[in-house]
Amino acid sequence: MVTAAPYLVLAAVGAPVLAGLATMLLPASRRLTRLALATAGPATSVLLMAIHLGRNGVSTADTPTGTIAWVPSLNLDISFLVDGLGAFFALLIAGMGVVVVLYARAYFGHDAASLARFFPTLGFFSSAMLGVVLADHLLLTVLFWEMTSVSSFLLIGWDRDDADAGKRAMQAFFTTGLGGFALLGGVLLFGGHTGIWRWSHLMAEAATISHDGTVVAAFVLMFVGAATKSAQWPLHDWLPGAMKAPTPVSAYLHSATMVKAGVFLLGRMLPAFGALALWLPLLVSIGAVTMLLGAVLALNQGDLKKIFAYTTVSHLGLLVAMYGMGGASTTGGLGAISWDLTQIASHALYKAPLFLVVGALAHLVGARRLPHLFGLWHRPGAGAKAAAVVLLLSGYALAGGPGTVSFVAKELFFAATTRASDLHPVLAVVGVMAIAAAACNVAIFVRLTTTVLGHRSGVGEAADAPVVPAGQPDRWAFMLWAPAAALIALQYLGGLVPSLWNRTFRGVEVNVHDEAFATGIPLAWEPFLHPGMPLLMTAIAITAGVVLGFSGWMRRDMVDVHSRIWPASYRGIRRGGHRIFHSIQTGHVRHYLAVVFSVLTLCIGWAAWADPAMLRPPAGMDPFEYPAGLLLGAVVCAAAIALPMVTERVVRVLVLGASGFAVVGLYLVYQAPDLALTQLMFEIISVILFLLVLRLLPRADRRPRIRVLPRLALASVVGISIGWMTLLAGHAADNRADDAPTLGKFFEAHSLEGSELTDGRGGEGRNVVNVILVDFRGFDTLGEITVLATAALGVWSMLPGRRRHREEEDLAVDTGQGVQT
Amino acid sequence: MRMSSLILRTAVRFILPLTFLYAAYAALKGHNGPGGGFIAGLIASVGFCTYRMSYGDRAFHRLLPLHPRWLVFVGLGLAGAVATLPLVFGQPLLRSASTTLYLGGSEVHLVSAMAFDLGVLLVVVGVAVGMISRLGEELDR
Amino acid sequence: MTTVLAVCVAVLVTVSVYLMLSRELKSVAMGVFALGHGANLSILAMSGSPVLADGGLRNPPILGAVNLVDPLPQALILTAIVINFAVMGFLLTLLIVTARRTGTINVDDLAAEDRPDGSRTGGDR
Repeated sequence: MVTAAPYLVLAAVGAPVLAGLATMLLPASRRLTRLALATAGPATSVLLMAIHLGRNGVSTADTPTGTIAWVPSLNLDISFLVDGLGAFFALLIAGMGVVVVLYARAYFGHDAASLARFFPTLGFFSSAMLGVVLADHLLLTVLFWEMTSVSSFLLIGWDRDDADAGKRAMQAFFTTGLGGFALLGGVLLFGGHTGIWRWSHLMAEAATISHDGTVVAAFVLMFVGAATKSAQWPLHDWLPGAMKAPTPVSAYLHSATMVKAGVFLLGRMLPAFGALALWLPLLVSIGAVTMLLGAVLALNQGDLKKIFAYTTVSHLGLLVAMYGMGGASTTGGLGAISWDLTQIASHALYKAPLFLVVGALAHLVGARRLPHLFGLWHRPGAGAKAAAVVLLLSGYALAGGPGTVSFVAKELFFAATTRASDLHPVLAVVGVMAIAAAACNVAIFVRLTTTVLGHRSGVGEAADAPVVPAGQPDRWAFMLWAPAAALIALQYLGGLVPSLWNRTFRGVEVNVHDEAFATGIPLAWEPFLHPGMPLLMTAIAITAGVVLGFSGWMRRDMVDVHSRIWPASYRGIRRGGHRIFHSIQTGHVRHYLAVVFSVLTLCIGWAAWADPAMLRPPAGMDPFEYPAGLLLGAVVCAAAIALPMVTERVVRVLVLGASGFAVVGLYLVYQAPDLALTQLMFEIISVILFLLVLRLLPRADRRPRIRVLPRLALASVVGISIGWMTLLAGHAADNRADDAPTLGKFFEAHSLEGSELTDGRGGEGRNVVNVILVDFRGFDTLGEITVLATAALGVWSMLPGRRRHREEEDLAVDTGQGVQT
Repeated sequence: MRMSSLILRTAVRFILPLTFLYAAYAALKGHNGPGGGFIAGLIASVGFCTYRMSYGDRAFHRLLPLHPRWLVFVGLGLAGAVATLPLVFGQPLLRSASTTLYLGGSEVHLVSAMAFDLGVLLVVVGVAVGMISRLGEELDR
Repeated sequence: MTTVLAVCVAVLVTVSVYLMLSRELKSVAMGVFALGHGANLSILAMSGSPVLADGGLRNPPILGAVNLVDPLPQALILTAIVINFAVMGFLLTLLIVTARRTGTINVDDLAAEDRPDGSRTGGDR
């Protein structure tokens, strides 16, 4: 049973993507079967998770789920940790996946092609998310993390004809992908430093981890990963941008999954890093700023999707701040993050319906902007009415009205800020910011209500509301609002009958610290029986929110200044890259060569700097020991020096040939008859070759020479250093002992007869050079003649001859002559 | 390209067989004395090139009626075959084998490496002659 | 002899680098050619001086004599010469094709042709 556990979890992770891919095997006409299969994917995940939890219960750091060996040599394996946090998120993701698949069927309607594309992509994303929340191995988490980035890129850039959607998808991909890199860096840094590669291990060892600089750096990197994924200020702009995605995607990504991955990661890190001195200030400051900024921006939008996107940003900031204050709980026993999973669930349960209903409105009414929705309630059609009801109920939960779970969640957060400010008075600022953010949410609800219930029907919709495309009536149309209604019902069920909620969450909630809520979330009226600071804050928020909502302030469409960061940096990177590319890639061969030669010289210079003995002239060198050799050397040098000076091309070739023939002489002095013969033949052929080619090339132009001195300087430096290297190496070879074991000696010894070193086989030849070429190093020679053949093929293909034509002409001429004679 | 000098043409007519003879000698002797496939190939190429220069393209075609690329292909194939043949017999790549032939009382020791060398020779001749003749054709245009 | 060889290498490499940095591809090709000689001589120096203490020379690396020179550098150079030949043929053909296509073998003009705007900038004029 224990061994089966990891496979069960693996199956739960893989089910959505497998089911999604399986739908592609079905013919496009079998839409119902496809839908059933696609729904079965996440549903299977839910089922398997339930079975797993029923069998094994929620695991803890001490009892991680078993592992499946993957790459044992790299200490990499597939291991899962189904603790409370992981199990909760997995159920949330899979459950929401079912809802979204059903909704997508209604949303895409008769667009079978989109549906066919949607199911596999969504399955991929669901599996990646499940992997993130269930993985135990740190690197496995990173792997799945990157997979969510890739799959969300595909989902956000869904509309391939919309260039803006593509840009937004890229922005989301870059932002979260860079965060993923940071996460990877943090994980590697941490794992390499401490040797801990598992979350379970990490939690068990949390107390013993030292808080040195490396750990802090690793934590900061991991936090960057979490913050980009969860759209924290100042990199939050990708989230509103991602609203270009179709509504099912927005509902899924922004309520329960993608953006919650960062929050999830913080929950994972809390036990290990919560005690770091940096944890609380970093998370709370970033989170609180995001919370307030998101709320204010949300209030200043007209587009419903934008509004809910910014409230999502705001709520994510709240969650990050909450986990930030949780850092104090490990040191000061604050209990700031009591019932954190309830917070997360409550957000998912009202945000998903909001997005779903926005999509439904776009379908049913053809409008997404608040002014266009004026008097929605009074419009004909059951669908619009149902959508309006769901919209208002969800909006009420967004505002945190009593009777919903989110009311309690808000109370919890207010309580947490009060307690935190008891410990750190400066945290009272966070409480004030929370009130302001809550007031904005209330104001949004007020505006939603007044718009939807507005009486002057026909004023707003008439002129500029887009016309609804008259599609075929779809029997699945009720699915546009039914899933949202079901989700929001859960919200109210939890709020009004808290015992059910508590029973569900008792098992997975690990952070239960707060005395007031120790037994779970209270009955709806209970907070009013214990008046205190949180209730006062709620009252202020609601009052301020109602006033704000009815007032005329903050109604214009506000453009987020942070939306300029991405285009500017993207442009900057492109321009910078362009500039760097063109400053390096000048297109001038000699610039590249100059770089190559300079680097070569620098390398030699560096070696000389490291070992100054290299600069000492070797002793006992006698240039006059063999006069004939000296003479030949002089000819080589003279011809070489003359080469750049002569300009007449025939003379140049002859000078080149002269230097080559002198080299032949040097080979003879060095007792290399094979070399001398080869070089001689080579020299003859190359002189012919050069003469041929020079006649085919245009004449040299008479432009002034490019600057001689720098060229000569670089050339001399390179030449002298190479010459010096040659001198040193040759000197070492001169002074080698006669019995020194060299490769040459080995080849000499085995050229004719073999020994046990060569399995008893020799080269059976007396010319050692040739035996080396065709026997000892035969493989090199084989490669070499391949190079020769390739070069010849290159020549023939660059200059495709007209030999065939020529042959035909020859034939014609021959026969013509034959006739004549 | 053609250098029509009577002296050159006459000289080449005599030199050409000599270069081929010398190339054959170098190729055969290469395993035991100065020589070998590369050298022999280059010597033969020099012979071909001088002939082409003095007699021109069409005469050259009569001397070497096939496209030089076939020399390259055959040579490469021969060398590759000699290299991989030992694999068939479970021996390592390029393991050489030898046999001794008795021809009319004199014995000739043959090593498989010489066949390899012959492949090298063909490739070198093919490449050198191919390049030179192609460039020469370009010049004739 | 090593000294002589080292000086030859230094001169050959200097000249070839100088030529390769020039404006005309013909000179660049000659530079590559000369660089081949320099590299070969540099490898040759690794076999040590062939001059014995009594003023005589060592014997070629053919079995049957004593005091043979090191055969390994020779085998390497033999390979290098033939490869050099193939590279030269390829390079010169490339030059011809370049001259045909663009009408120039001047490096600066070629670089200008690469630029989308066709402006002739970046030369050392």
